[in-house]
Amino acid sequence: MSSRQVISEFTLEPGTGKAIELLKGQILRIEQVEGGQCADFNAFNLHDYKEFMHCGRTRTVHGFHPTKGTFMWSAPPRERAMLYILEDTVGRNDVLFPRCSAYVYEASYGFAVHTNCHDIQAEAQREYGLTPDDVHDSFNLFMCTGVDDEGHAFMTRQTTKKGDHVDLLALMDVLAVPNVCGADVMKTSNFALKPLKLTVFAATEADLAQVPKTPVLASQRTPKDFRNPVIKTDRPLRRDPAYRPEFPNTPIVVTDLPIELSSDELAMFNAVKRSDIYGDDDAAAAVAAARGDIRGLIVGEGVIGRASSTGGTGVNETTHRAPRHAQNRTEQGRKAVQRLTSQPGHT
Amino acid sequence: MAETVVKLRLNQQQLELMDRTIAQGVAPDRVALVRLALREYAAAHKADASR
Repeated sequence: MSSRQVISEFTLEPGTGKAIELLKGQILRIEQVEGGQCADFNAFNLHDYKEFMHCGRTRTVHGFHPTKGTFMWSAPPRERAMLYILEDTVGRNDVLFPRCSAYVYEASYGFAVHTNCHDIQAEAQREYGLTPDDVHDSFNLFMCTGVDDEGHAFMTRQTTKKGDHVDLLALMDVLAVPNVCGADVMKTSNFALKPLKLTVFAATEADLAQVPKTPVLASQRTPKDFRNPVIKTDRPLRRDPAYRPEFPNTPIVVTDLPIELSSDELAMFNAVKRSDIYGDDDAAAAVAAARGDIRGLIVGEGVIGRASSTGGTGVNETTHRAPRHAQNRTEQGRKAVQRLTSQPGHT
Repeated sequence: MAETVVKLRLNQQQLELMDRTIAQGVAPDRVALVRLALREYAAAHKADASR
């Protein structure tokens, strides 16, 4: 680490943020000066601001608390790894909560004006011509959050100390925008606003060697792939009379696939069928057993899904330190199955 | 041996996924793949239930 070349240093004062051009192969360290301070963060492709770090995509791949060894991803349809978390001395970050906003402090606390992450981000990135509408949900560094039994997100105080830091390695040229979270009336930063130190380093070969390879897929599209690549410059929305829908893979055509099951196979099927989801037919149990359940085990959870995840392109996202993503994919499979129509067979 | 015919209704994308799996040598055809999936899933379900 000591061999890294320092390119620049900056202190983020409370209530402020800073837009920083972070080039591919450079590292941004965000460091606690006193401890106990949340840093909100987002980033844009420096050469195309429409590509930005997307908490939803990042959350899907790496879970609610991404840390060392995970990526910050851009939004669909780009879906590229923008930054890699090279170091995290605390290991507690948040991608559940959006950035706090002026509305929160006015609605909940009566402030006409109050420091808030949305406005701080907006003011910092205004240096590069971006507007308040160009602020996106933030990756909340050092923020301690969770989800309670009823599904509500909550936050707790943090335990960070002076010197704790996160190192973000740029995998493309980005405009990185960290800010000192403006929440001083919540637990986010332990009820006080403190400075943060920013340091930009040139990554060493050892740093770069730590980054796992990420997929390069045709589905990671850029404006050259868009049917409409032009950024809209006026505000009202008007229908394009020349528009003709071109949804992929439509129409969806359903085909019957008859399968003969032996009595043993039927017994297996009855043992695992999900009549709780697809219903059942008491009068013809064997017939009703065919209601869709096999499709679920085949398409959503069974042999085909597994074969697909390791074959074809060779891409398996679970290799990106993404155990929760694997769970999510199973859940997505289940939901997809629920949407499928089904039809009883016959004996 | 008594046999029961069940009818799956699959769309073209799901069939494509099946066919790519078959192309990898997992099973010789769609029907065999369904049977394999059923056997594997039932075995996994049984193993989970016994834990």
